Amino acid sequence: MQSFRKPLAGVDHPQMDADVVIVGGGPAGLACALRLSQLIDEHNARNPDSQLSKENISVLEKAREAGQHCLSGALLDPRSMRELLPGFEKEAPLDAEVEKEAVYFLTEKGKWKLPITPPPLRDHGNYVISINRFTKWLAKKVEDAGITIFNGFAGSELLLDGENVVGVRTDDKGVDKNNQPKSNFEPGYDVRSRITILAEGARGSLTKQLIDRFDLQAKRNPQTYGVGVKELWEVPEGRVAKGEVIYTLGWPLTRAEYGGSWIYGIDGRQISLGLVLGLDYKDPRTDPQHALQSFKKHPFTTKLLEGGKMVRYGAKSLPYGGWFAIPPLAGDGWMIIGDSAGFLNSQRLKGIHLAIKSGMLAAEAAYRALLARKFDAAQLNDYPKAVENSWIKKELWPVRNFHQGFEKGLLHGLFHAGLQQLTGGRGLYKKYPSHPDYEQMERIEKLSDEDASRAAIIGPARREGALTFDKITDVYYSGTKHEEDQPSHLIIHDTNICNERCVQEYGNPCQNFCPANVYEMVENSESPGAKQIHLNPSNCVHCKTCDIMDPYQIITWVPPEGGGGPNYDGM
Amino acid sequence: MSARGVILVITEQREGKLNRVSYETITAAQKIGAETGWGVEAVAMGAEVSVAAGEIAAKKLEKVYQIQSPTLQQYTADGYVAALKPFLTEKLPSLVLFPHTYQVRDFAPKLALALDRPLISDAVGYKYESGKLIFTRQMFQGKFAADVSFTGEPPYFATVQAGSFRADQIENGSTPAPIETVNAVIESSSIRVRPHEMYKEAKQAVDLTQAEIIVSVGRGIKEQKNIEMAAKLAEVLGGELAASRPICDAGWLPIERQIGSSGQTVSPKLYLALGISGAIQHLVGMKGSRSIIAVNKDPEAPIFDIADVAVVGNLLEIVPALIEEVKKAKAEA
Repeated sequence: MQSFRKPLAGVDHPQMDADVVIVGGGPAGLACALRLSQLIDEHNARNPDSQLSKENISVLEKAREAGQHCLSGALLDPRSMRELLPGFEKEAPLDAEVEKEAVYFLTEKGKWKLPITPPPLRDHGNYVISINRFTKWLAKKVEDAGITIFNGFAGSELLLDGENVVGVRTDDKGVDKNNQPKSNFEPGYDVRSRITILAEGARGSLTKQLIDRFDLQAKRNPQTYGVGVKELWEVPEGRVAKGEVIYTLGWPLTRAEYGGSWIYGIDGRQISLGLVLGLDYKDPRTDPQHALQSFKKHPFTTKLLEGGKMVRYGAKSLPYGGWFAIPPLAGDGWMIIGDSAGFLNSQRLKGIHLAIKSGMLAAEAAYRALLARKFDAAQLNDYPKAVENSWIKKELWPVRNFHQGFEKGLLHGLFHAGLQQLTGGRGLYKKYPSHPDYEQMERIEKLSDEDASRAAIIGPARREGALTFDKITDVYYSGTKHEEDQPSHLIIHDTNICNERCVQEYGNPCQNFCPANVYEMVENSESPGAKQIHLNPSNCVHCKTCDIMDPYQIITWVPPEGGGGPNYDGM
Repeated sequence: MSARGVILVITEQREGKLNRVSYETITAAQKIGAETGWGVEAVAMGAEVSVAAGEIAAKKLEKVYQIQSPTLQQYTADGYVAALKPFLTEKLPSLVLFPHTYQVRDFAPKLALALDRPLISDAVGYKYESGKLIFTRQMFQGKFAADVSFTGEPPYFATVQAGSFRADQIENGSTPAPIETVNAVIESSSIRVRPHEMYKEAKQAVDLTQAEIIVSVGRGIKEQKNIEMAAKLAEVLGGELAASRPICDAGWLPIERQIGSSGQTVSPKLYLALGISGAIQHLVGMKGSRSIIAVNKDPEAPIFDIADVAVVGNLLEIVPALIEEVKKAKAEA
């Protein structure tokens, strides 16, 4: 019998007071911490008699080490980093400046190069980076500035006092499979904070609690997502130049899916290769990891990879919803930044620079709140106001309707995108509506014969030599590791739905959309012939796709025991 | 309360032998005593503790108490509290220090509560600042050190984490400390628990890394009852039984028999893989085996990439036949 992680009853949680707690040590959270530290340093230099302390500002990070759970292509638009740390290029781990770019449209065997690179995909002046190394470097800056990062501690619950967020409870450690404390049990801490800043990345689990509790998405478009799957390869010299960027559209995706692939040259030998797939796809058999394997089988890609070897794998969801899906950003005692808020430009497929900028603006609001000693919504709304007046809005407003235009497929999407280009982003409607991704999924009985065109992206991938891998092999290369003796952190609220309804209606798409083989349908030991859901939580790479995608919305992703998760070294 | 402060160390002994952290706690008490000017005394307790008490008395202490009672033959929280509560009420030391052991974790909170006094547990250091005693505790798995002080009236209670003070820095006395015997009176009816035999961590029943022959089963075994068949094969071959993750995950075999990235790494002379597909997570745990025989239904199973002998077939038919053959061969030999 599978038991699911739940808060233990009757446990006293040690208390800790804080001024600011930032949940999540990715680019947004770390930029926020660093900006706040800068403001405090400047203040203290100006006001020797009224010093502000940094001692009670901390960052919680569920990974064992900073950057281990960060995954992206990645290309960095340096705009916000130049504001945060002028001259950062001299010391940050940047692999290459983008010097060459191309966009191809792929058919199963052929390719067609776009005569010009569409402006949103022009990347001159951007940098190819490993977001893992970049985040590690940023974390070091934060720690050197005197702000503590608690690695291996996840935010597992929001602490509320009426309508106020008053802090975060960290994860309980040392809980066994059956939710019983083990001999090394250590209850989570109640970090009681004046300001709680959520920087958990896409589909943050506390952010989800907050949005549900205060119905924050009510007047917004629902957030929509994509999932990115990536492999890092080492190939013979000269295949992809350092700083070369290749985007592809088309095969293996069909006109019904939103997405594309990328290949970035890191240093002449290492290449980053991946595929993003909008989670608004219709066919429940769609498997993003399979799609990536097929992409590698295209002659164009195979030629680049031949003789090379895959060194790492990972997957992560990303928010596509754009400006209209961004929830209210601040309230009584809280702010939301980065991917958790949905700061991503879906047309340029870039969000790191926006995450950093949003973190900086939230830091500025937090600083003013600390000076004013006021932490309510009226005070913290400084932050959303600052976003309105910043270049974040200028960048996101013209593409506010971009992704919604693609809800009915590629052709519709290109039509709307063209129209929006001509009308400053408006297109046909002032505000294109959108729907939650899971609502787009169709039942298996609705699949028509033409869906055979999707053979390259449905069902499990097969391994073929050193080029393509089955999912479990890729999972091995994610380096993911969890304490095995703990309750499942993937909470299925009603497994009967999986075993009885979903099996009929959608064919258990969790097996397909999960890029890490967490979900399996196995022989039911009690009734022969029937299948039942089986979870392998220790395979999880923390991408959150299941939480987003399951058609009945009965899966909740919560953080496992802190320290567990993928190891995205060099990704 | 005595005019001059006293630190009392409650040591822990088993069969006359003190554990290391008890000595470390005495070191802590001596250091605190040197700063505060408080006297340092120690307690050994049990049914008969003259050996332990004599051992402690060699240290630089003002006094050693041996608290004895037949009821203390075996440790119980009730017994220890019943013995210590009247003793502490009478002595009223300023500070009571304990080694932070499992046993202390069990009874110290109860004792502190019985006397309605604060307890600081698992201290790693101390400070004595303007007449105030402060202890340091670790939070967030050692990332953070919190200074904690007592409120209210003494005696105060604190437990000391193992390794925080050094046993080799303990000061010996120039003359042995006087030993006073305290005969604790404990109503046997006040002991509400009856201890069983001491639990000893089960020695890992099996050391797969030493096995020369391993019969390992995977999901292809289908049902739990078929494990028995594989066990039989292991037995006739004189080998050990092991498994891939799904088998242990299902609870069909204990986790210490799991081979692979989340289990053991082995390199026996012969590794017989039954119904194991050969996911890389498993292969990394056994690919160093000298000979690998794999039985699997699926001719494309990755296990065959590294197998020396590949048998494509149904293990439920093959294994019984193999058992018979091995038996026959052994009979002939």
